[in-house]
Amino acid sequence: MSISTARLSAATYAGRLAGAASRLAGRGTGASIRGKVMLKLDPSALSKLLVGKRIAIVSGTNGKTTTTHFLAAALRESLGPDANRLVHNADGANLHHGLASALSEHPEADIAILESDERVVGDLIKLGRPEVLVLLNFSRDQLDRHHEIKSLGRSWRTALTQAGTAGPVVVANADEPLVVWAAMAAKEVVWVDTATTWTQDSSLCPECDASLIRIQPDPRSGQDADWYCTGCGLARPKGDYRVESGTIVDHTEHVWDPQLSVPGVFNISNAACALAAAELMGVEPRTALAGMRRVTSPAGRFATARFGTTTARLLLAKNPAGWAEALPLAQSQTVVLAIDSAAADGRDVSWLWDVEYERLAGRSVIATGRRAQDLAVRLEYAEVDYRCIPDLGDALADHPEPVDVIATYTPFQRLRKMGRV
Amino acid sequence: MSKRVEVVLIYQSLLGLYGDRGNATVLMKRLAWRGYESVLTAVEPGHPLPDTGDVYLLGGGEDAAQVTAVRALKADGGLYRAVDRGAAVLAVCAGYQIVGNSFTVGYKDEVISGLGLLDISTTRGPVRAVGEIISRWNGRDGNDQWLTGFENHGGYTRLGPGVKPLASVEIGIGNCSDGSEGAVAGTVIGTYPHGPILARNPALADHILELALKRELEPLVHPEINKLRRQRLRRVRRSHARSAR
Repeated sequence: MSISTARLSAATYAGRLAGAASRLAGRGTGASIRGKVMLKLDPSALSKLLVGKRIAIVSGTNGKTTTTHFLAAALRESLGPDANRLVHNADGANLHHGLASALSEHPEADIAILESDERVVGDLIKLGRPEVLVLLNFSRDQLDRHHEIKSLGRSWRTALTQAGTAGPVVVANADEPLVVWAAMAAKEVVWVDTATTWTQDSSLCPECDASLIRIQPDPRSGQDADWYCTGCGLARPKGDYRVESGTIVDHTEHVWDPQLSVPGVFNISNAACALAAAELMGVEPRTALAGMRRVTSPAGRFATARFGTTTARLLLAKNPAGWAEALPLAQSQTVVLAIDSAAADGRDVSWLWDVEYERLAGRSVIATGRRAQDLAVRLEYAEVDYRCIPDLGDALADHPEPVDVIATYTPFQRLRKMGRV
Repeated sequence: MSKRVEVVLIYQSLLGLYGDRGNATVLMKRLAWRGYESVLTAVEPGHPLPDTGDVYLLGGGEDAAQVTAVRALKADGGLYRAVDRGAAVLAVCAGYQIVGNSFTVGYKDEVISGLGLLDISTTRGPVRAVGEIISRWNGRDGNDQWLTGFENHGGYTRLGPGVKPLASVEIGIGNCSDGSEGAVAGTVIGTYPHGPILARNPALADHILELALKRELEPLVHPEINKLRRQRLRRVRRSHARSAR
């Protein structure tokens, strides 16, 4: 055993001890602390753990956990009895320590399907030489920490430029100008026309700062979504894969009915990106979709849980784009909305005013979480009926009918724990 | 009742980063709750600002968006005419910076000339101001005097003799750590905190409506808004006291 691998083994062992201690103390899964201890003892643990693996990375503001689950499920389906060759940070811990922790748990795996925080993508390209990189979208999120979403796009573009021909093949959402601009630096790109309708976070060209013209899709006239820059030549690339009225059309023009187990048109877009990535990793689309259909509640999203006598479906929404997707899914007469402003949620809740809560008119809303009162005022101005019950447990108590819950990150994780999902 | 009140939301695609649309929502609802008719006119670059507006709103945005917005507003000229007519203007964060004499963008600190509606100038500060802010509205007393919001800006603003500060900072950075927050000249009000500002500070919302309508408005009673104000003031002061210890 070389000194380098001995150090990694010692770090992994120490991390495991710390993780177990944290778990025993009831502080969660221990994944994050495990990775932190490892990286402290061996700062190069992450790059050592990545060496020699076939790697696919998924990143973007929204949908990365679900898309990574889709891709991992697609590969597992094709691996069959050899599914343990695959490692996946399934719990969504996507920073350096979370990644190191997940990888160290399956040192024997030779395929890694990893969700990555937007800020870590550049490092993973450098350290892991991934085969495939899926770039989903960019939208405003946690602005108290990420002041400019363009700087994230620039970091992806720089990392891809530096990697050159040793870099990954990128699967990129053609409907997102900043993603397109970043992905164009890759040696090869598979474009996915995801039929995205959220356009509020990209009004200027990432290349030249001129105004972008955005055309919204209109199913009645058959108009597809489109965008182009009024200043330079940047325009929406033609999709190799497309999402079309609930189906996925692949690069051979074959039309697939996704029949996913998770709800939402945005998940069909996520599935289209995962399908393209799976094909690049050598999985047949039929096999990939069979695997993806097994994904029901990735890291608790869309899970149904029991809270005493109440049955609740858990939806996660972290930013205006995410809320625009989640709100139409919430169909119950009583809807519980849980808001917090811990570091992981973003300390600034001004985004509440960029969400169309007016859509909930006619329903009865329960505002909960540490920032329930901020939501209460938003709902007051939206003229939606609401009750403000800050305690999560009280807010979920004694609902005779099943309720849909939409939560920001921190209360979502608490609800998963409370509901054991 | 009188004529329809027109609220103009300026370049939401460029200056709408921090829930700034909420300021329009708040103004319109507070008019409706008092029986006034109102209309929202959302204008994007390339389309003229209406000359009929009563309140004009500008919000927060990134550097490139600021430059595009200031260029378009100068070419349009409508905002100058509005101020000459005595319409009310609320400019928040990046919007506040661009209505001043000048501001800087990018890491090279390129100086961009502003609209010159407020005698202020902005340059990049030593540390980015990010966090809850509480200030005391100059000339006000009672509960209404406390302005609460969230600031997030890299630029620091210095006031010239042609403006008065809107408020004095209790917690936070404000204009440039000099104890002042925001600026006022006539019917133009500039301020850093969003939240959005008018949702958290209904008295300021009503003040802007009164500036625009040139008349006093009867008070509205919404306990939930006061409860939010009390909660914000209490929690922000408590966590500030804790971190100062």
